[in-house]
Amino acid sequence: MNRLQGDIVQIETNGHLSIVSVLVSEAVLLKAIVVETPTTAPYLKEGNTIAVLFKETEVIVGIGPVDGMSLQNKIPCIISQIEKGALLSKLALKTGQAAITAIISSKAVTQLNLTANSKVSAMIKLNEMMLAEL
Amino acid sequence: MIALRIQKKLDGPNGDMLLDLDIQIQKGQFVTLYGASGAGKTSTLRILSGLLQAEKGKIEVNGTTWFDSATKVNKKPQTRNIGYVFQDYALFPTMTVEENLLFGLPKKGDQKEVTTLLEMMELVDLKDRKPTTLSGGQKQRVALARALVQKPAVLLLDEPLSALDMKIRLKLQDYLLKVHKTYELTTILISHDIGEIYRLSNQVFVLENGKVIKSGTPSEVFLNDTISGKFKFKGEVLKIEKDEVVYLVTVLIQNEVVKVIAAASEIKRLTIGDRVIVASKAFNPVIYKIE
Repeated sequence: MNRLQGDIVQIETNGHLSIVSVLVSEAVLLKAIVVETPTTAPYLKEGNTIAVLFKETEVIVGIGPVDGMSLQNKIPCIISQIEKGALLSKLALKTGQAAITAIISSKAVTQLNLTANSKVSAMIKLNEMMLAEL
Repeated sequence: MIALRIQKKLDGPNGDMLLDLDIQIQKGQFVTLYGASGAGKTSTLRILSGLLQAEKGKIEVNGTTWFDSATKVNKKPQTRNIGYVFQDYALFPTMTVEENLLFGLPKKGDQKEVTTLLEMMELVDLKDRKPTTLSGGQKQRVALARALVQKPAVLLLDEPLSALDMKIRLKLQDYLLKVHKTYELTTILISHDIGEIYRLSNQVFVLENGKVIKSGTPSEVFLNDTISGKFKFKGEVLKIEKDEVVYLVTVLIQNEVVKVIAAASEIKRLTIGDRVIVASKAFNPVIYKIE
């Protein structure tokens, strides 16, 4: 499980759902949609420090411009290491001080010509992000 | 409701220790005291039952004062309306099962109560036997029945099942739940078995060196359960297998076996037999009708 820490900067609530924006670093704003509201989960408060969790297998890796996509979470990263399996590969990524792991298909690693030090965007869907109280 | 606010100096495992509690237990709750040996759990039950006297404080049960150091009220143990069950049964060896129960019956008590309890605890066929001829599980059923003949308001259970094997234990847990509900008891259990605590109690107090350091529902106390995922189950790890760069973890959730793909970082602290939470967002599962 990837785990990044940041401060809640915005909470948009409608009905049972909230989209919570968490500022992890200057360059990285992550958003999560959760079935919670500030009433059901008191830790949802602007200014609170919180952890954002997402599964390694839910990370999409892209190169080049990634603007024309619906994904709300795009993290600029540099690949620090690749461990290649027959079907799946594990990518160790760095963004600022934080480390992320992505598990993607080995074929994609070849197709995109990914190597250590490649610049990539790690992308995660809004609904794959979990929040955890600290 | 039980309101217990007491202080008592005890010989702890590391020298003198002050048992210092201020707890409230609502009527009908099934509460567990949890903590290391010497934390003050048994002393708490003894103080509540009157077998041990606190130096300072007040004990109030359902509106009646049982103990108050300020006004020097100290009700005798036999007038406190408590049932007490210990690990070692404490049955009278020369009396039959039925006689053991009758002995616990108050003077004006109804003998029918004994019959009802013999039936409820499935002891009718054993009623003429002496305790020495009974198994551990059977003896504990007798001890529990005897604790109930006087219709206590509060039932105290000091590790009553810890000497029994798993199968008998589970069976006796069912009996405990049954009598707790039937007799509308407020029950306080001392147990170290987390599975048992989950099954039986709705509130846990964790004691350390004579103080409550944590309290809440079993989930709040025993699980670091603060993530927002709504598709969430507790289970037990059965198997961990490596597949390329990921791990396949087999988890038993109630009667179902599920599989979870985990990354190295997730299995780092996992071993077979661990209790875990399997969580996902409410957005991920698909749902369809099966008939």
